[in-house]
Amino acid sequence: MATETQESTQPAEAAASGGLPQFDFQWWPGQIVWFLIMFAVVLLFVRLFAAPRVGGGIEDREAKINGDIADARRLKDEAEAQAAAAAAETAQARAGAQRLGAEARAKAQAEIAARLAEEEAKLAEKAAVADARIAKARDAAMANVASIASDTAGAIVAKLTGRAASAAELASAKGS
Amino acid sequence: MAQQPAIEPMHQFLIHKIVQGPVFHLGGLPVDMSITNSVASMIAGALILIIFFAATAKREIVPNRGQALAESLYNIVDRVLVGPIIGHDGKPYVPYIFALFLVILVLNLMSVVLAVGNVGGLDLTFAVTSQLAVTATLAVLTFFSVFILGFIKHGPKFLGLFAPGGMPVVMLIFMIPIEILSYFVRPVTLAMRLFGNMLGGHVVMSLFGSFVVALAIVGLSGGVATLAFIPSALSFTMIVALTGLELVVAILQAFVFAALATVYLNEVVNFGHGH
Repeated sequence: MATETQESTQPAEAAASGGLPQFDFQWWPGQIVWFLIMFAVVLLFVRLFAAPRVGGGIEDREAKINGDIADARRLKDEAEAQAAAAAAETAQARAGAQRLGAEARAKAQAEIAARLAEEEAKLAEKAAVADARIAKARDAAMANVASIASDTAGAIVAKLTGRAASAAELASAKGS
Repeated sequence: MAQQPAIEPMHQFLIHKIVQGPVFHLGGLPVDMSITNSVASMIAGALILIIFFAATAKREIVPNRGQALAESLYNIVDRVLVGPIIGHDGKPYVPYIFALFLVILVLNLMSVVLAVGNVGGLDLTFAVTSQLAVTATLAVLTFFSVFILGFIKHGPKFLGLFAPGGMPVVMLIFMIPIEILSYFVRPVTLAMRLFGNMLGGHVVMSLFGSFVVALAIVGLSGGVATLAFIPSALSFTMIVALTGLELVVAILQAFVFAALATVYLNEVVNFGHGH
C-alpha cells in the first residue's frame, strides 16, 4: 500500500501542478548532455562518412553523365565532319567524271569533224576531176559537132549549087 | 462495472529511468546520466541513422533504392536549401545542416511511425522532439554556432547586422534594439516551434486513442450504450488521418528547422553582400 502511493506520487504531482511533464526540470541536465553526445556522434558520422559518400556519389554520377554527353557530342561532331568530307569527295569525283566525259565528247566531235572535212575534200577533188573531164568531153563533142555541121553544110551546098562552098563561106554561115 | 481508463494525454511525455547511470555535478548542478526512455530513443535514433547510411551510402553510378533515398535526403539539404539560399560558399556547411535535418527527422518520424511497435514496454517511440529540453538544446546550439561563426569570420564588424543600412541616425536609436531583440528571439522560436508541433500532434493522437478505448468499453455494457461504438470507430478513423498528418508535420518540421538554420547561416556566410 505504501509503495503503491509512493510510485503514483510522481505523475500525480505533475498532474496536480497542472504543468507539462516537459517542465519537470530534474530530467533536463541528463537529457541535454545525452542529446549533445548523440548529436556529436551523428554530426561526426555525417561529416566524416555519410555526407562525403552520398555527396560524392551524386557528383560522380553527374560527372559521368556530363562526360558521356561530351563524348557523344564529340563523336557526333566527328561523324558529321566525316560525312561532310565524304560528300565533298563525291562532289569532286562527280565533277572529275563530268570533265572527263566532256573532254572525251569534244575530242570525238573534233575527230568526226576532221574526218568529215577530209572526206568532203576528197569528194570535192573527185568532183572537180570529173567536172573537168566532162567539160573536156563536151568541148571535144562541141568541136566535132562544128566540123560535122560545116561538112554537112558543104555537102548540102555542093549538092544544091553544084559547086563546093569555100571554107570562109561555111564559117560565116555557121556563125550567123 | 468496467473500470474506466483515465484519459491522460500527457502521460506519454513522462520520463522514467530504464538503467541507473552515474550522477556527476556540473557547477553544482547534478547531471543524472541514467538511461531514460528519452535517452534510449535518442540512442535508437542515432543507431537508425548510422545503420541506414552505413548500408546505403555507396558511390554506385546506378543507385539502388536505399542509395536513392539517401541521395534524396542529401539533395533536400544540398540542392533545395543550401544551394539556393547560400550559394556556392555554403558547400562546407552542408554536412552540419544535413546532420541537424537527419537528427530531427529521425526522432520525429520514430515517434509517429514506431508507435505501432510500442509493445512489451520497449519504449523506443518516446517523442524526444516534444521534450523542450531537447528542442531548446538544438535551437541554442544552432543559434550560437552561427552567431559565433559570424564573429570568427567577420570580427566586431558582425555587429553591423543589427544596424540596417541606409537608416537615418534617429531611426537607428529605435531600430537597433528591435533588431537585437528579433535576433535573439530566434532560438526561442526555433525551440518552441518544434516542441509545440510535436507536443500538439501527440496530445491529439493520444486523446483520440483514449476515446477509441473508453467509448468501446462503454459500448460493451450493452443496451443503448452499444451506440457508443459509432464514435469509437470515428475516433479510430481520426487516428488514422492524424497519423498521416503527423507524418507530414514530422518531415515538415525537420525541413523548417534545417531551412531556418540555413537562412541564419546565410546571414553569416554572405554577410555584407546583400545588406
